[in-house]
Amino acid sequence: MIFMLTILAQIPSTGQTRGGLKGLVLDDQGKTLPGATVGLEPDRHLMETDQRGEFIFSKIYTGIYTVSVSMIGYKTFTGKISISPGTVTNLKLKLERGESELDEVVISGTRSATGNLLKAERSAMPLTVISRRTIELMGSRRLDEVLKEQTGVSIVSNIGGGARSVGLQMQGFGSEYIMILIDGQPMVGRNSGNFDLSRISVSNIERIEIIKGASSCLFGSDALGGAVNIITRHGATQPQGLAAFNYGSLNITDASLEGETPFLSQRGSAGISANYYRTDGFNTNPRYIQSGTTAPPYDNYALQGRFRYRLSKNSSLNLGARYGLRKSFMAKDFGLGIISGDSQDEKDLNLSASLDHSFRPGLRSMSRYYFTYFSSDQSVAWQQSNTVVSGDIFKQRLHRFEQQFAYAAGRQLKLTGGLGGSLETMNDASLTDAGTLSTFFSYVQGDWQLSKKLGAMGGLRYDRNNSYGSSVNPGFGMQYQVNTRLSIKAGAGTGFKAPDFRTMYLVFYNPAANYLVVGNEVLAETLEELQEGGQISEIRQYLLGQLGGNLKAERSTSFNTGMVWQPASAVKLEAGLFYHRLRNQINSVQVATGSNNRNIYTYQNLPRAVNKGIDVSLVLSPVKDLEVSAGYQYLEAKDLSIQDSIHAGNWPYNQNIHDPETGSSYTPKPSDYWGIENRSRHMFNLRAFYFYRPWNINLNIRANYRGKYPFGDRNGNQFIDRYDTFVSGYFLVNAALEKKFFNQHLSLRLTADNLMNYTDMLMPGQPGRVILAGITYRIYRD
Amino acid sequence: MKMSSKNLLFHLVILLLAGACKKDENPAAELQDGKSTVILDLAGDTEAAMSENTPGKVKRPFNIFLFRFKDQKQIWIRNAADSAKYLKTSEWDIAFTGPYNSEIYVNDKSYPYNPGYGGAAESAVVLLHQAYERVVMAPADSEFDNSDITKIGWAASESSGGWFFYSLSSHIMQAIPNRTYVLRLPDGKYAKLQLLNAYKGNPPSVTDLNWPAPYLTFRYYVQQDGSRNLSATD
Repeated sequence: MIFMLTILAQIPSTGQTRGGLKGLVLDDQGKTLPGATVGLEPDRHLMETDQRGEFIFSKIYTGIYTVSVSMIGYKTFTGKISISPGTVTNLKLKLERGESELDEVVISGTRSATGNLLKAERSAMPLTVISRRTIELMGSRRLDEVLKEQTGVSIVSNIGGGARSVGLQMQGFGSEYIMILIDGQPMVGRNSGNFDLSRISVSNIERIEIIKGASSCLFGSDALGGAVNIITRHGATQPQGLAAFNYGSLNITDASLEGETPFLSQRGSAGISANYYRTDGFNTNPRYIQSGTTAPPYDNYALQGRFRYRLSKNSSLNLGARYGLRKSFMAKDFGLGIISGDSQDEKDLNLSASLDHSFRPGLRSMSRYYFTYFSSDQSVAWQQSNTVVSGDIFKQRLHRFEQQFAYAAGRQLKLTGGLGGSLETMNDASLTDAGTLSTFFSYVQGDWQLSKKLGAMGGLRYDRNNSYGSSVNPGFGMQYQVNTRLSIKAGAGTGFKAPDFRTMYLVFYNPAANYLVVGNEVLAETLEELQEGGQISEIRQYLLGQLGGNLKAERSTSFNTGMVWQPASAVKLEAGLFYHRLRNQINSVQVATGSNNRNIYTYQNLPRAVNKGIDVSLVLSPVKDLEVSAGYQYLEAKDLSIQDSIHAGNWPYNQNIHDPETGSSYTPKPSDYWGIENRSRHMFNLRAFYFYRPWNINLNIRANYRGKYPFGDRNGNQFIDRYDTFVSGYFLVNAALEKKFFNQHLSLRLTADNLMNYTDMLMPGQPGRVILAGITYRIYRD
Repeated sequence: MKMSSKNLLFHLVILLLAGACKKDENPAAELQDGKSTVILDLAGDTEAAMSENTPGKVKRPFNIFLFRFKDQKQIWIRNAADSAKYLKTSEWDIAFTGPYNSEIYVNDKSYPYNPGYGGAAESAVVLLHQAYERVVMAPADSEFDNSDITKIGWAASESSGGWFFYSLSSHIMQAIPNRTYVLRLPDGKYAKLQLLNAYKGNPPSVTDLNWPAPYLTFRYYVQQDGSRNLSATD
């Protein structure tokens, strides 16, 4: 990927351990290009070219850097440059028209600072990378906001997570199946199976890698649907700092302070960042909830530190710590004179230490220890009588150790292998039986460059779980470069997921949407208890008879194939097909109705579910300074056993379908089955990023469409058909504007989310229009 | 190929505005008037059946349930203990008894077949042949005292006080329109009540006798200030 790079005269400069880098960036016509972003890695020092298209980094430490130059509408340039002591290296480069997203940053020979030897790009499954610059331009503040704008990714309010947590859904898989990792280490704190992505601020994120499809081979049993790997900023070679402040609708306040610096003549680097975020929350159901909110208000404090130290020429030590605290209180008045108060305090602590050693060129080892602690204190009280309706103190602790090796056998073959184990404890005041979960895993992955055009990858992973036995999961993939414009990727893998403590034992009440979730093992006794207390309106006996303990583990097989086609430099098309077959998918199902129309859910295994579909994305640059991208996903998520039962006429699927609007009834056909709850058939996104040169402003507008999806079975025939309750399809439109001043030190930003102010009472977590204004100041020596 | 970016943006915005409107899919929307309480699909005894071989159900007597207007509480009476605890109290306003919980009683201690017989409450009910929205005034006390309505269920004929027609050939309950019940509650307050449906989803009419039932849909309005004014619109 080296374009026209000319190193001009080396100008001597003062200082023996430092040098400089200056340069000139030209566009494809040979004219100077102001406003291009120039970045130096591992420094992460960012700069923009001035009016003459020039940039300069002075007094940088010597060494080998990767320089990247990006501009909307042009292909991002990356190249290696060596800075020698006492000289200023001069670069002149010309950018080509094309898609500006940072694709795979190929760093060979230099230290990889991501803290993980397993390369996500090497996964057999499709990979999407979101760069830091894109996140900045979008103006997104929390992780869920960034993710939900990607093709095929939606944020859903899943059963069991409450109004507070937002869960991810990818290719039809719910958030329990998607593993969230930070620098390759899993995050815990999945309350009721949903991981609360709005807990994570984007201020410290370098890059987000999204892998879709079964990644159990790489990441273990929680990754049937895929993985989201959040890569945080790593060590600086120049002291720098950042202060940012945003304020807007719903009294949202977002303030960050960051600083990082090298020390001991670049032997080490340390960084720290702090973030405060608060919001008033929002009410999407003003008709039935007189005062109070459905999207919760909260205060979030986050503190993060990272430390790197080079112990010797061949080894380095990385330490990281992350602490987050979220406090929230929600009062809701349903208009009956009864007000419920719902409070939740969450504490989140992650500590990590890793030792990276290079034995000889081609053989590296990384040892990692990771500790995470998550505690959530929820209580719901009826304010009039001050009784506690449900109290829940949930604590989760995880210790994880992993040893990885990476070995390059010649230029064609790279091997990565490792083993490790984890110990997880969960204690929850409402769990009837607390316990510990221990796992052991080992894996090996090989990367072959079979020929110049063909690459293959294969891997195997072994997992052992103390309550669900062991499982071996293979994965393999191929990449074929047909010609310079077209490449094809195909992969297959298997996955495995054991039911967790919550699906088995927890009884959990969500006051925001008035439902109760009961773990399978305790279902019968809980229902009996509720009935004694006069809390039950109806029990679906047929379902109860079928359930009752013994949730089985889920297994899946995934196939993915895709292609990337670039017919012209300004056009890039990616398309893919996916097919996932799940055995015993765990799905929530309504088993009873409580008093005051409270739905009571539990979990069941769906014998044979299938998620299949296609996704397409197109990026093009029709005119200078403009980049437009569009993405579309078509998904069909169905349980095949339901279709078969309808076909075979097994009760209860042989009951007539009823249309409550007209009163008509008819015999169902397998085609009457719509699919699994909470999955949309169609999802679409459209984005435009534009640099308005006369005013030196970056602006973007993004629209996301989510097609209608089923909410629940309304007509009582045990499967979703067209007469059941659906959440209507909707558009969300977001826009942002950014202007930089003072030689790129200061930037002003205006962000508008949900411009159309769309809300729906069946989506309690989606706020209406939110407008924010923000200012960021970067401190560094020019 | 010179499409101006302004044009592109304009077309985009139009497309999005078109899709941004959403229709209200709330099924009870037409029943709401802002003041009345609308109860949709309240589950009755869905396990019991009148005949053998009803799939998913058991032939046995239907359990009765009591209902309280104030907080929409549903109280099930499944056994002798429940009977002893609730029936003879003023903890409930109406009871849903009989096959498919279709026979409604107001809580009255004086009528022998009333679940609240010998208990604490004394309610009275009259039937007005008027649409629910049109009932704005409770009738005089003499009307209540002389009312002969005891059980509100299957209306054998037009002159009967019941709320649905039932055909022995089709076995379908069909709610009768324009029937509103006005209640005089034990504390002297007046309320109006409309019984809408016993079938799930409140369909206008039903042809399939295996339509999920009983799921009771009804609405009521209690005049809290003690007057006879039953207008539920502002």
